[in-house]
Amino acid sequence: MHVVLADYFPVLVFVVIAFGIAGAMLGGSLLAGQQKPYAEKLSAYECGFDAFDDARRRFDVRFYLVSILFIIFDLEVAFLFPWAVALGRIGLFGFLSMLAFLGVLTVGFIYEWRKGALDWE
Amino acid sequence: MQHFFLDTTLGLIILTVLEALAMLVPLLVGVAYLTYAERKVLAAIQLRKGPNTVGPFGLLQAFADAIKMITKETIIPSGANRALFLLAPVLTFGLAMMAWAVIPTNNHWAVADINVGILYLFAISSLGVYGILIAGWASNSKYAFMGGLRSAAQMVSYEVSIGLVMVSVLLAVGSLNLNDIVLAQRHVWFALPMFPMFVVFFISALAETNRAPFDLPEGESELVAGFFVEYSSLSFGLFFLGEYANMFLMSGMTTILFLGGWLPPVGIAPFTWIPGPIWFIAKILFVLFVFIWVRGTFPRYRYDQLMRLGWKVFLPFSLLWMVLTAGFLMATGLLPHSGS
Amino acid sequence: MITQIVFWFFAVVLIGSAVMVVSARNPVHSVLFLILAFFNAAGLFLIAGAEFLAMILVIAYVGAVAVLFLFVVMMLDVNFSQLREGLQRYFPVGAAVGLVLFVELALSASAWRIAPNVRDLPHARVPGASSNTEALGELIYTHYVFLFQACGLVLLVAMIGAIVLTLRDRPSAKRQDVAVQHARVPADTLQMMTLGLGESTTGNGGFRRPIGKSAEKPVSRPALVIENSPDREG
Repeated sequence: MHVVLADYFPVLVFVVIAFGIAGAMLGGSLLAGQQKPYAEKLSAYECGFDAFDDARRRFDVRFYLVSILFIIFDLEVAFLFPWAVALGRIGLFGFLSMLAFLGVLTVGFIYEWRKGALDWE
Repeated sequence: MQHFFLDTTLGLIILTVLEALAMLVPLLVGVAYLTYAERKVLAAIQLRKGPNTVGPFGLLQAFADAIKMITKETIIPSGANRALFLLAPVLTFGLAMMAWAVIPTNNHWAVADINVGILYLFAISSLGVYGILIAGWASNSKYAFMGGLRSAAQMVSYEVSIGLVMVSVLLAVGSLNLNDIVLAQRHVWFALPMFPMFVVFFISALAETNRAPFDLPEGESELVAGFFVEYSSLSFGLFFLGEYANMFLMSGMTTILFLGGWLPPVGIAPFTWIPGPIWFIAKILFVLFVFIWVRGTFPRYRYDQLMRLGWKVFLPFSLLWMVLTAGFLMATGLLPHSGS
Repeated sequence: MITQIVFWFFAVVLIGSAVMVVSARNPVHSVLFLILAFFNAAGLFLIAGAEFLAMILVIAYVGAVAVLFLFVVMMLDVNFSQLREGLQRYFPVGAAVGLVLFVELALSASAWRIAPNVRDLPHARVPGASSNTEALGELIYTHYVFLFQACGLVLLVAMIGAIVLTLRDRPSAKRQDVAVQHARVPADTLQMMTLGLGESTTGNGGFRRPIGKSAEKPVSRPALVIENSPDREG
């Protein structure tokens, strides 16, 4: 229990320092540079025009679909990690068990391929 | 390492801080010089001279750029969400740096030698999406928004094949510890027996870092600069440096997973004289050179081609190869721990 | 000592950010607080010695699920002030549901018994496994094989459900079919003509696509009229 914490303590320190450096760089630049804002400078870039409407709006549903499919495959990969490590111990049964799992997901993969969910126009 | 050093808590903290700085400072200098090296290599490819004015051979160019960026004005667009707008570049750059906590540069030379090192790296590379999504949204600008969306979908698509490649390497190692992964390559680097996976990993690394030929989130001709159009000064600089720091990270991962980390190419006399970290750095530099070489050579992909490559080529191919690797290792009894 | 300080830190930040998830006005901020909560939960897993679960929590929830949430709240363009107007009307129903839920939670919490050997459980090891990743690997795929296969089926349903719900075929979309492109040969699209001196293409029906392949009618007007070009006249 304490061993794990001792292993991860350097990670914590490292994270703090990494973000400290990044934050300090940004803060230093905010202090060092002269700030002279005015309305035209602060408007969003749109090839010289004033922005036509709000930039945050509905977009193609395909992006949702990609991220949902990503979640599914990411979970599949998450299941693969312990399997890869333990495969030597769990032997043929473990191998076949994973093959069945992947087979089920491959059915889904073929379905989405056929449906054109992987096409991007 | 820390057990026979200072035993007090404070001593431990100071030691860790020093270790972290010993890793981060060379990394920062390396990142700064990578921008210079990229310009020089691209210039050589295009028969130009590249930066040659500031200092001998233009060597001080990186510092000149840094000073320029720091003293520029930081513009925060009026419609933007100020806190998130500034958080995004810090996040991008910080994530690229914090991954180095677990990277071993020699046998057991890592700031944190954790059991699940490869998962830590995988987790961090999957967090990279946030800097870009937040930047795209917080800018409140159409180009930034489109660039952020595209970039996020692109990174997410190649994440899966990176994961599958990692799993096929792990099958041959039997441990999630990065040190063990390198040591498993004593006899042969994984780049040889798993050459197709090595190629898939490298190309996915290009897509994951938004590098050419997959740099269309920032496609100048259509999105002006993608998710960081609205950024200026060092808030832009952090995105820029973050991209290069990510290249370093991906090269480090390629080196550890496929090119034998700090191990010399063959374990005989003249090669073993050179210390491990030198080999490690040399391999990283080689992979970085290939990154730049690819940029100088290939034209940009189209978005639908990019998505097709990720989902219809790499995903099924790496899945199939992973199963084949597992089957092969099972059949030949080469799996680690299979005796116990 | 340090373990306890770290535990309380993670626990307090976890609860605080969970409260902020519900109370933040901007939905994007809510999701970002949710991510912070996930990170602290991962920290608690680490303290309990569950390294693998901590990393998977970050990979699966922060790296994938929260990205989808962020996509949805950033881009869905929901009018939140309009949603808040309904608050007055639905408040009694919502409060009743919340009360029932709270009572149920309180009942189950009061019946909670802590297992007597709970302190030993983190140290209980699967024999032969050197880390908890290996221990999980040894159990999931063999001992819990049916649950594992059920997970696969759930993922399959999720995949098909997502496609059925979101995929709309747009006939106007232009798709690239690589096989068709590769199968294209010059004979399908190119017609070589030999024209005599001073003879115009109008005599042959003008420039147009070969008629045999496509069912479309031949273009009556020549696409390019050479005789009328100014340099001929001059």
